[in-house]
Amino acid sequence: MGKPIVQLQGVTKRIGSRTIIDNLTLDVPSGEVFGFLGPNGAGKTTTIRMMVGLMSITSGDILIDGHSISKQFEKSIRHVGAIVENPEMYKYMSGYQNLIHFARMIPGITSHRVKEVVALVGLESRIHDKVKTYSLGMRQRLGVAQAILHKPKLLILDEPTNGLDPAGIRELRDYLRNMARQEGVAVFVSSHLLSEMELMCDRVAIIQNGKLIDVRSIQGSDNSAKSLRILFEVEWPESALEVLAASGLTGISEGAGVIAIEGDKELAAQVNESFVRSGIKVYGIRADIKSLEEQFLEMTGGEGIG
Amino acid sequence: MVDFLNLIRNENMKMFRAPRLFVMLGIVLALVIAISSVWFTVDKGQTAMWEVIITETMFLYWIVTIFAVIVASGTVAEEFSTGTIKLLLIRPWNRSKILLSKYISSLLFALFFAIVFLASLLLVNWIFFDLLGNGESVERLSQFTSMSNSEYMFKYYGLLFLNTVMTVTISFMLSTVFRSSVLAIAMALFIEIVVNNLMQLLAFVKYKWIDYVLFVHLDLTKFVGGNVASDGKTLGFSLSVLGVYYVIFIALTWIIFNKRDVAS
Ligand SMILES: Nc1ncnc2c1ncn2[C@@H]1O[C@H](COP(=O)(O)OP(=O)(O)OP(=O)(O)O)[C@@H](O)[C@H]1O
Ligand SMILES: [Mg+2]
Repeated sequence: MGKPIVQLQGVTKRIGSRTIIDNLTLDVPSGEVFGFLGPNGAGKTTTIRMMVGLMSITSGDILIDGHSISKQFEKSIRHVGAIVENPEMYKYMSGYQNLIHFARMIPGITSHRVKEVVALVGLESRIHDKVKTYSLGMRQRLGVAQAILHKPKLLILDEPTNGLDPAGIRELRDYLRNMARQEGVAVFVSSHLLSEMELMCDRVAIIQNGKLIDVRSIQGSDNSAKSLRILFEVEWPESALEVLAASGLTGISEGAGVIAIEGDKELAAQVNESFVRSGIKVYGIRADIKSLEEQFLEMTGGEGIG
Repeated sequence: MVDFLNLIRNENMKMFRAPRLFVMLGIVLALVIAISSVWFTVDKGQTAMWEVIITETMFLYWIVTIFAVIVASGTVAEEFSTGTIKLLLIRPWNRSKILLSKYISSLLFALFFAIVFLASLLLVNWIFFDLLGNGESVERLSQFTSMSNSEYMFKYYGLLFLNTVMTVTISFMLSTVFRSSVLAIAMALFIEIVVNNLMQLLAFVKYKWIDYVLFVHLDLTKFVGGNVASDGKTLGFSLSVLGVYYVIFIALTWIIFNKRDVAS
């Protein structure tokens, strides 16, 4: 991972007397896909609006490639490509004219680059049609195209999978990971599609009510060294608990013949062996890994908007 | 600089867009042709060409201003209502420059329409009343000055265009402040229909402050015969009052556009 491309430093947004974003601090380095997770109304879009200078920052600052978005807007925004909420385009123009429009605003974008990007988002066959004839997913693709035209160092996408079909989601995911790996782009994606974020992101921040409540890495399926909750499905749970107690372990009965213990993979193997040796049939062993989704719901209390 | 011209090209591309532009051009051309041909049939081409031109200008010019206002007030308001403003403002151009490109394009659109209208007036009426008609061609439009007909016409037209610039600027401000074209267009209609025709009556009210009311000065065509109008006002004074208002309007527009949180 490289140097931080975007730095949020104690960012706070107040509208009237309401604090919508409360003292948010985080960094995203180059080459990382960073997920920004939160329930409806948590403040994801508001944060993104401040990151691209659409909204003023009440206190704190946001640096992009070392430049303050509020004080050196033109310098810092140059490195940013973004979709904020829905990808709204000029409906009365073709997709191609829309791209030309945005290409003209940044020096050095050739028509060759425009064509390249069109091919990349898979819109070649429809690019010369008026945008008003596009489906939501096609507009989303055009939105991605305008965001990456100028090869930004920071790509900010607000719920980019909204409206995409499964194939489109997969393409986007692969594309974003490639951008991060190969071109060192920092990708900042917001979503409430948690399962989506697990597949796509290196790190995920969770916000609720404008406050950052957690930042964690997604480490793939590598759980070997970690302490887990291990569930055993056995023939006689009571005898199994006795066997555990005899070797100084505490098991918890989960009902339906399931007992749980805390420990790593090695322990699971030992416990299994002792059960079998005591003549207790073991029907199944599995690690109780909470998906990010469950952790997320647990953390945010699974409550409604607020 | 070349880069900034690109912004203006973008705005022009959006303003001069297909169906709307052709509808507007069609209306202007159709009106000129219709009125001139009716006039031609009724008086059998006896009227002098310049007289027809100046009369049609008086009755039809306001349409140019209204079309310019529709386009100018839409340029900011539409970006807000469709949400495209978000994509426009996240480019390496600060908001003042984006707004300036929109304002310049609005004035260019107004100028384009004013020229198209004048050209169609000249062409259509030259065909009807000079080529086909037999009006006395040397009648003087201005009885009190030595200006030629064309000089008089162009001066009159120039003064009208100043009114357009002022009206477009006011609408541009209103649409930027309220992010909606409705109020801007209503205001322009008020200026074109009420102010330009009736407000001069206000000038006869004997309060000092009346002299500084914007509306009293918007119609400059009374200065076509000379720099002092029949009510004793001078062109210089009117232009100074307008200039002060202009600066205030422009400053307000830019300050508010720069400050605003974009959360549409
Ligand atoms: N212009 C505004 N004025 C007042 N409050 C606002 C404004 N914009 C947003 N809010 C409030 O700020 C909070 C955060 O909104 P935001 O749109 O950032 O949420 P979000 O995380 O993007 O939600 P979603 O998942 O629904 O897109 C909400 O409670 C919202 O009501
Ligand atoms: Mg949102």
